Amino acid sequence: MAYTYRQIKFKFFEILPLLLLFFISLNGNSIISLSYFSVSIHYILVYFWVLRQPQALGYGFIFLSGIISDVVFGLPLGINALSLLVIAAVAAYVRVVTVRITLINDWISFIPALLIANFVYFLSLYFSNYSVEYLLLFKNSVSTLICYPILWGVFSLLLNFNRS
Amino acid sequence: METSREDVGIVIRSAFLAKGTKQRFSLFVLIILSIILLFAETIETKPLNYLRSFIKDTIYRGSLVVSIPFKSFDNIAENVSTHMSLYENYSKLKIENYELKNNISKSDFLELENTQLRKLIEEQVSSSSNFVSARVMLDKQSPYLNSLIINIGSNKNIKNSMAVLDGKNFIGRIVDVNFFSSRVLLVSDLNSKISVITEPSAHHAILSGHGENALSLEYLPENHNIVDGDKVYTSGKEGIFSPGIPVGVVEIEKDIATVLLFSDLSQITFVNVDLGG
Repeated sequence: MAYTYRQIKFKFFEILPLLLLFFISLNGNSIISLSYFSVSIHYILVYFWVLRQPQALGYGFIFLSGIISDVVFGLPLGINALSLLVIAAVAAYVRVVTVRITLINDWISFIPALLIANFVYFLSLYFSNYSVEYLLLFKNSVSTLICYPILWGVFSLLLNFNRS
Repeated sequence: METSREDVGIVIRSAFLAKGTKQRFSLFVLIILSIILLFAETIETKPLNYLRSFIKDTIYRGSLVVSIPFKSFDNIAENVSTHMSLYENYSKLKIENYELKNNISKSDFLELENTQLRKLIEEQVSSSSNFVSARVMLDKQSPYLNSLIINIGSNKNIKNSMAVLDGKNFIGRIVDVNFFSSRVLLVSDLNSKISVITEPSAHHAILSGHGENALSLEYLPENHNIVDGDKVYTSGKEGIFSPGIPVGVVEIEKDIATVLLFSDLSQITFVNVDLGG
């Protein structure tokens, strides 16, 4: 009985990143908007797990979660999916070329990921004739970068818990 | 040099093209698929529209289910706060009720006078507005786009560009219609531009959203005489919305005319969709 409970607990924590990914997409929390800034937790979640434990988040699921976010926020289908896949691509590249993973390495490599993803986001919106406040987009990028270490800490705890 | 180029090739192949552990799709394939989807959004054909409507309806229902616990929590918090301010609200409503009662007789007289004057100039008096009510299903505010999802779609003859009202006040227009749901682009959104008229100054203008509750009046004549407290109505000039739907009230701040909406966009539960004549 105890063994089964442990197994269930292990399985739950194993699929927790995936559950979180779909939960924030469906609930419209992929971008947490506060008074003066907003944070894309979607980007941080995808970047962290693709970098540290790629088997936890399948690329197909990331794509699907992006499509859900597009529908929930009323954007043309494919915009968020493309940005998330760009984040995943940079994370996959960094994973292949990096030997030692530290917070600083992750954080620095997150900068190009964020820049490329937001550039793709901007281009997709521009060609879809959607106007967005570019200052908000910029603020979002900066605050997402600043908040990265906090979520990195939380996800690392979860990762260590999974491994133990 | 040769080795380095080979290394880069291996890295790119391994990161983007290979499926990897427990991955069913390669990143490259999915990125191409996303780009194809983006292009497909510009194509308007019946089968594609049906597919899009089906996907959106399904996701909206899923989102509705997922947000139930949060909604319940919000409702509890709102109930508690309403109970806490019950006495204060009662006093305010009492005063408001007294003022409204005084205004009713004045308003009845003005309405009668207006009808008689319109008859005198042989203008069509009654506008055949045809409303259908809907409930707000989802209100997921993104920092970039302000919109709502309502629970009626093509099943209730909803079409794109129909005016959406909160009671009698204009709040937005339909921008996306599915089988059982529609998306309302709120008047405060950056992409919203509405043709309006101010009263009593009678100036035509374009009401532009900026992602916040305060909106701006654009393309006003240079020597306009709009003052604080002027009312803003839809002009009906573009032929899409009925004329005379109340929108908001003008507030002049540092010589810039902003409009405060009559409706609080964050507190909308039910809406009326104007199906037109």
